[in-house]
Amino acid sequence: MAAKKLRRAQLSQEMCERLSRYQITTCQDFLCLSLLELMKVTGQSYHEVQKLLCKVSRACAPKMQTAYEMKLRKSVNPSSAFLSTTLHSLDRVLHGGVPCGSLTEITSPPGCGKTQFCIMLSVLATLPVSMGGLDGAVIYIDTESAFSAERLIEIAANRFPAYYDSDEKLLCMTRSIHLYRELTCCSVLKRIMSLEEDIILKKVKLVIIDSVASVVRKEFDTKLQGNLAERSNFLNRGASVLKYLAEEFTIPVILTNQITTALSSGPGLRADLVSPADDLSLSEGSSVSGKRDSGYVTAALGNTWSHSVNTRLILQYHDLPTRQKRTSRYVQWHVT
Amino acid sequence: MQREVGTLPLAPALRARLAAAGFQTAQELLDTGPCGLSKEIGISREEALEALQVVRQECHGDTARAAGGSGATRKCTALELLEEEQTQGFIITFCSALDNILGGGVQLTKITEICGAPGVGKTQLCMQLAVDVQIPECFGGVAGEAVFIDTEGSFMVDRVVDIAAACVQHCHLIAEAQPEEDHGKALETFSVENILSHIYCFRCRDYTELLAQVYLLPEFLAEHSKVRLVVIDGIAFPFRHDFEDLALRTRLLNGLAQQLIITANEHRAAVVLTNQMTTRIGQSQSTLVPALGESWGHAATVRLIFHWDNTQRLATLYKSPSQKESTIAYEITPHGFRDVQPPAGTASTEGTEPNPRKRPRTEEEKQQ
Repeated sequence: MAAKKLRRAQLSQEMCERLSRYQITTCQDFLCLSLLELMKVTGQSYHEVQKLLCKVSRACAPKMQTAYEMKLRKSVNPSSAFLSTTLHSLDRVLHGGVPCGSLTEITSPPGCGKTQFCIMLSVLATLPVSMGGLDGAVIYIDTESAFSAERLIEIAANRFPAYYDSDEKLLCMTRSIHLYRELTCCSVLKRIMSLEEDIILKKVKLVIIDSVASVVRKEFDTKLQGNLAERSNFLNRGASVLKYLAEEFTIPVILTNQITTALSSGPGLRADLVSPADDLSLSEGSSVSGKRDSGYVTAALGNTWSHSVNTRLILQYHDLPTRQKRTSRYVQWHVT
Repeated sequence: MQREVGTLPLAPALRARLAAAGFQTAQELLDTGPCGLSKEIGISREEALEALQVVRQECHGDTARAAGGSGATRKCTALELLEEEQTQGFIITFCSALDNILGGGVQLTKITEICGAPGVGKTQLCMQLAVDVQIPECFGGVAGEAVFIDTEGSFMVDRVVDIAAACVQHCHLIAEAQPEEDHGKALETFSVENILSHIYCFRCRDYTELLAQVYLLPEFLAEHSKVRLVVIDGIAFPFRHDFEDLALRTRLLNGLAQQLIITANEHRAAVVLTNQMTTRIGQSQSTLVPALGESWGHAATVRLIFHWDNTQRLATLYKSPSQKESTIAYEITPHGFRDVQPPAGTASTEGTEPNPRKRPRTEEEKQQ
């Protein structure tokens, strides 16, 4: 919308030519100028410039819809609002499953099962709607080369033996999962930008990026000057494109993240906690009080990234003896 | 009438020609007339006439203002302002502790900014306010409509349905406990469908769409005169990436803030903005501060910061012209934004009104 050319905003031809002499060709350039600057470049009076501003704004402003219309549109298609994970307690906590149309992040210590979870969701997405799936293709962007096709078939065959009873059906399922191996930040971003056409062409219903953290942390060392800003920039751009895709096509987008240790220097840093759910050491049992002083573990990529995702799932190991009172808030699951 | 030609809102090229021809005051222009003007500076008669009409309008506006009439700049005494403020409504938040520290609720004609870490409840409060602004006047509300400008995609319709249902039920209970005639009539129109159809949502994907929408806001509010709340959920998100020129960003944000203040005052609406938190790296430690820089801190009249203390959500009134700085605790329940429930023992000594807020809650809303 921002890159919309002014001549499509229904400004007159001579006005567009005049503005292009000052390098103002898109709506974005036009709206970034103040009224006095606009008067200078257009050569119009104050009131005329205000009218022009309204015209250009109308060309790029979003359409209005009331909350009621949004609700009606959703109720027309209720089954497509969530992708059920088939883990009943998790589905209950998430009110139906992984939500379509928003970003969901899965974060955990290494080896907890993030990639397994992603593979299982890929299988679920290819199932027909009657079985709780989305009946569509999956785009899997793998940055750690952790995706195993054999494991995919194993999960599909063992989980849904009645549906995947023949090799042909399994092969059909594997054909609809598109795997892209991207090993640098730049290529990941390029791939994300080109997803729109792929989604339409291949009828994709689920996008998985496993994992965002590994490729970002490899390339950006936050101790170096300037890298923090560049990293935030990259993450924000990726997040906004993914949000646009998720909303436009009403599909779930799943991202995986890693855990990092934030070193603290005492009680002063308590206030910096972005969210208590992020502090995994809280669940380690407050009986060991001395443990807290050295640091706490939290999801990686900083709090700017935390603002960008809509839902965050944290997987962790569960120690039965020390955490009984917390079990109601955590969902237990096993990888089989 | 003695106004200088250079201050008139004419096209710059025309102004330059008038200055070159030697015109200095507006009165001279009016005396010359359109034909004389067109001959002297070499423009067509129609253009000259247009210019003179603009000049006449400006001067008429000036004299009207000088005589103390209505215009862009209002002049009134502090007593008139006091009376206005006392009769002004507040938009309640259903969390009585928060309403108390705000002095009654979210004030109309002021900009309130809510900063907080992700997941702490900023969007929940915005959705709660979009429902609360529609409470009829007989129940203590302002009976207005809401505009919701969403830049992050966090507006969940299902959640608004839950909040609206709880609000309608609350009003029904009040009407039963203290029946009055207007209650019945108001409740007929106060239903979930009605509430939803009076929340106008705009989804802005980048800062250009946000700027365009704010420029078009006065026109929209003129058409929908009952709007009393404008929420911009996520003013930080579109401005935090893809901006190499920070000076441009500051300028655009200041322009936005001024537009919003003008809109808030002219239409007697409350403007609520939500902001993100960013990490400021200090010498010895890093702290969380509101995003968008120091100069943005001046834009809002009232600033609330939401944060965590272990697992308790707290709200701090950080900046306010009339209330003192204080911190309260709040909760997000399936019914919306509420007070923290006291432990079960004190709940039994409740008053006569069957207030659903006081029933002890065991669930907590987990999803962001």
